[in-house]
Amino acid sequence: MKKHPMLKYLKEEGPAGPRLPLIMCPGCGAGQVLNYALHAVDTILQEDALRKEDFVFISGVGCSSRLASHYLNFDSGWTLHGRALAVATGAQLANPRLKIVVFTGDGDAAAIGGNHFIHTCRRNMDVTIVCMNNGLYGMTGGQVAPTTPIGQTTTTTPYGNVEDEFDLCRLAQTAGATYVARWTTAHPHQVIKSILKGIRKKGTAFIEILSQCPVHRKTSPVEMFRNMKKITVPLKKSTAGPAAGKIPVGEFCDIDKPDWIERYQKIMDQLSE
Amino acid sequence: MNRLCLNATYCKGCLICVEACPTGAIKASGRINSKGHVLPEEDDMRRCTGCNLCETVCPDFAITIETADGEGG
Repeated sequence: MKKHPMLKYLKEEGPAGPRLPLIMCPGCGAGQVLNYALHAVDTILQEDALRKEDFVFISGVGCSSRLASHYLNFDSGWTLHGRALAVATGAQLANPRLKIVVFTGDGDAAAIGGNHFIHTCRRNMDVTIVCMNNGLYGMTGGQVAPTTPIGQTTTTTPYGNVEDEFDLCRLAQTAGATYVARWTTAHPHQVIKSILKGIRKKGTAFIEILSQCPVHRKTSPVEMFRNMKKITVPLKKSTAGPAAGKIPVGEFCDIDKPDWIERYQKIMDQLSE
Repeated sequence: MNRLCLNATYCKGCLICVEACPTGAIKASGRINSKGHVLPEEDDMRRCTGCNLCETVCPDFAITIETADGEGG
């Protein structure tokens, strides 16, 4: 029987027995994002002159961060909570030729790792940040997160969240990232295209993917997947009128500017002359 | 005719594949796997265009389509 084509990039067997099925709950968006990211990596391995050894996957702590070192048959690192981007910066400086992909969640990137996130964008390190945003802390029990929409009930806001949420894409764009996009798990081809663009882009690429947490939202995966397109609106369309209150999705920015390594190398070349 | 290939051990029965299928070629079956998850099954594979959307959206790498010419996705 034919196997799923992306299984060739996953560790199906480990020293302690079979590693799959994934640890995620049924219908979790994190598995879908891994699938999309592997589709993008697969295209790059086929079309560009890159090998599997040129990729490094780094993650912090959280549901989404289980994806990298636990399942991927690539070089990968499972690092401290929120510090995945700090480790990615280090890996980049040690070997600037590496293609670095960071899997992170909204809690990992925006809450505990918010500072590293801003400064990685500001420095314009050549990393691709794939952020799965489910709007709550899934692994610890569905508590409120900085990305929880206002009015949303969670286990720690049983009468609704009173805080405004973080717009991670606008934050990354303002901080200086060169490629910023937001999609949902119900936009598979757009996500694949954006991750592909992000990996090929020189500089920080931030791709936020709105993802479903059916367990803590107490909704079926199919219903959450169906709602993804209802709660979003393309960026180019107006968010006024019937689309008021919907989340804009699309490419927020795609600019060209020198990354950290290029600027540093320029100074080193001048000094060595 | 295209054929549905399902790894029943990896499938967690979220049925996002059934929702994503643009032509309704697959449906939820009455079968469950060893963990009690409801598995998808072929409905009318004459409608399957081999777009592989079910394979792309699967969170658990469980489902794939073998196309009639034997090449697959």
